[in-house]
Amino acid sequence: MATITERVAARRAERRTATLPYALLVPAAVALAAVSVYPLVSGIRASFTRFRYGRIVGSAGLQNYNNVLHDQTFWAAIRVTARFVALAVTVETLLGLLLALLVVREVPGTRFIRLSLILPMTVAPVVVGVIWRLMYASGTGLVNPMFAHLGLPMPDVLSHPGTAFYGLVLVDVWEWTPLLFLIILAGLQSLPQDPIEAAAIDGAGPLRTFFDHTLPLLSPVLFVGVILRLIDAIGTFDQIFVLTRGGPGTATQLISIYGYNTAFNFTQYGKAAAMLISLLAFVLLLISAAINMMRRSARRTA
Amino acid sequence: MTATGDRVRLALKYLALGLATVVSLFPFWWMLDTSLKRQVDIFSGASLYPQHPTGDNYRLLFSQYHFAAYLTNSILVVLVSVAVSLVIGTLAAYALARFELALRLNRLGLVAALLVRMIPPILLVVPFYIVLSNLGLLDSRLGLALLYTGINTSFVIWMMQSFLAEIPVDIEEAAMVDGDSRLTALRRVVLPLVAPGLAATAIFSVINTYNDFLIALTMTSTPSAQTVPVGISGLIGKIQIAWGPMAAAGVVGALPIVIFALLVQRHFVRGLTLGAVK
Repeated sequence: MATITERVAARRAERRTATLPYALLVPAAVALAAVSVYPLVSGIRASFTRFRYGRIVGSAGLQNYNNVLHDQTFWAAIRVTARFVALAVTVETLLGLLLALLVVREVPGTRFIRLSLILPMTVAPVVVGVIWRLMYASGTGLVNPMFAHLGLPMPDVLSHPGTAFYGLVLVDVWEWTPLLFLIILAGLQSLPQDPIEAAAIDGAGPLRTFFDHTLPLLSPVLFVGVILRLIDAIGTFDQIFVLTRGGPGTATQLISIYGYNTAFNFTQYGKAAAMLISLLAFVLLLISAAINMMRRSARRTA
Repeated sequence: MTATGDRVRLALKYLALGLATVVSLFPFWWMLDTSLKRQVDIFSGASLYPQHPTGDNYRLLFSQYHFAAYLTNSILVVLVSVAVSLVIGTLAAYALARFELALRLNRLGLVAALLVRMIPPILLVVPFYIVLSNLGLLDSRLGLALLYTGINTSFVIWMMQSFLAEIPVDIEEAAMVDGDSRLTALRRVVLPLVAPGLAATAIFSVINTYNDFLIALTMTSTPSAQTVPVGISGLIGKIQIAWGPMAAAGVVGALPIVIFALLVQRHFVRGLTLGAVK
C-alpha cells in the first residue's frame, strides 16, 4: 500500500512542479494568440481610429460606432441576416430531425446515404456556389427550366430581389441540413432506449412518445447543433459573395457582405472594424451559451 | 393490418431517404456533367449526361486560368500549416489531457481553443488584414500559412485532447516505469495508439484549410499567392460566364475533398461539433 501512496504522491509532486506541460503549451498558445488576441486588439484599436483611403489619419473616438448606429444600410443588413439565419436554421433543424428519425434504426444502405448527405457540407462553399450557379442558370440550368415546364413563370432566380433571398436560403438548406441531420442522428443513437420503449409498451403513440420522451432527452444535443449552426450561419459569406455579392440591390446583403464591402471596397477600415467588433460581442454571447451546453451534454454522455 | 402498415412505413422511409440522397447528389452530377460538355452542348438544352465528353474545359483551366499556380499555392499552404499545427496542437493537447495545470489552465486552454475556432472568420478578417499589412505579408503564401496555422491549431487542440483522453493513462505509466521519459512514452506508446485520431484530425484540418475562401480572398491579390477557391470565384464572378471551365474548376475544387471525406466518414460528427457529439 505504502508504495502505491508514495507513487501517487510522487506523481502529484511531478504534476505540480513540472515545467514540461507548460513548455508544451507555449507554441500553441503563441499561435492561438497570434490569430485571436493580437488581431482583436488591433481590430478594437482600428474601431477607434479614423482612416482615409485606407491610411490612419487620427483618432476617431466613438465616431465609427456612431456612424454604424446611424447607418440605414447596416440595419438593413442586420435585418436580412436575421431573416436569413432564422429561416435557414429553422428549416434545416426540422428537416434534419425528420431525416434522423427516419434512419435512427439502421436500414440497409445507411452508410451510403450518410456519405451522400455529407458531401454538400464538406466541399468548399465556393464549390457550392459553382454548383448552384449552374443549377440556377437561366439558359443552361435546371431549376428554371423545371419551373417553366410546370408552367410557372420563373425568370433567373438570383437576379430578382423577390426570389434571390429564397434562392440563397435554399442553397444554405441544401448545404447544411446534413449537419443537423448527423448531429441529431448521433444524439438519437446515444439516447437510453428504456423510457422510449416503456412508453411504447404502455401504448403511447409514436407522436406522443416523441414529444414526451425522445424530444426532452434529445434537447441538449439539439441545442448544441442549433447553436453551432446559428453561429456559422451568422457568418455566412462565401456562397453569397460568389452567387449574388449581396444583390440585386441589397436584397441579399448579409452583414458579412456589408462588412466586407465596407472594409475592402470602401476602405473604411474603422467603420468596418466597429461594425464587426459589435457583431463579435453578440456572437461571443452565443458561443458562451454553446460552450456551456457542450460541457453539460459532454458531462451527461460521459 | 400491422404488416401492411409496416410495409407502407418502410416504403415511405425509403422514399424520403432516396429523395434526400438524390437531392444531395444530383447537383454534383450536374456540375461534373457540365464540366465534360463542349460549349455548344451546354447551350443546346439540358441533358443529363455529356453526349460528346471532352477534357477541353480542364485543359483551359491550366492553360488560361492559372490553375496550376492556384493548386500549387493551395497545396503548399495546406501542407505547411497543417503539419505545423498538428505538432504544436498535439503537444498542447497532451499537456491539457494529462497534467493538472495551475490557474485552471486545463479548462481555460480548451475554452480558448474553442473560442478561436468558433468565431466566424468574417469578424476577424479586417484585423488580420491590418496585421498582415503591417508585417508586409499581404499577398504571400507565408502570410496565409501563418493565419491558417493559428486557426488549425485551435481545432487540433480540441480534437486531439478528446482523442488523447480516451487512451488509458496506465499504458504510458507502464512505459515510464520501464524507464521511458514522458516524451519518449508519448512518442513510443501514446502516438501509435492515437494515430487514427491524429489522421482524422489531419484530414479535417486539410479540408478546412483547402476550402477556406474568405481569408485567402482578402489577404491575396495575385496568382502568386491565391488559392483554388479564389481562382474558382474568379470564374463565377464574370459577367460572361465560361460555364464549362467554371464547372471544371468546381470539380477540381471538390475532388480532393470528396476523397478525404470518404476517409474520415466515421469521425465526421465529432469533427463538425468539435467533440461535443461523438
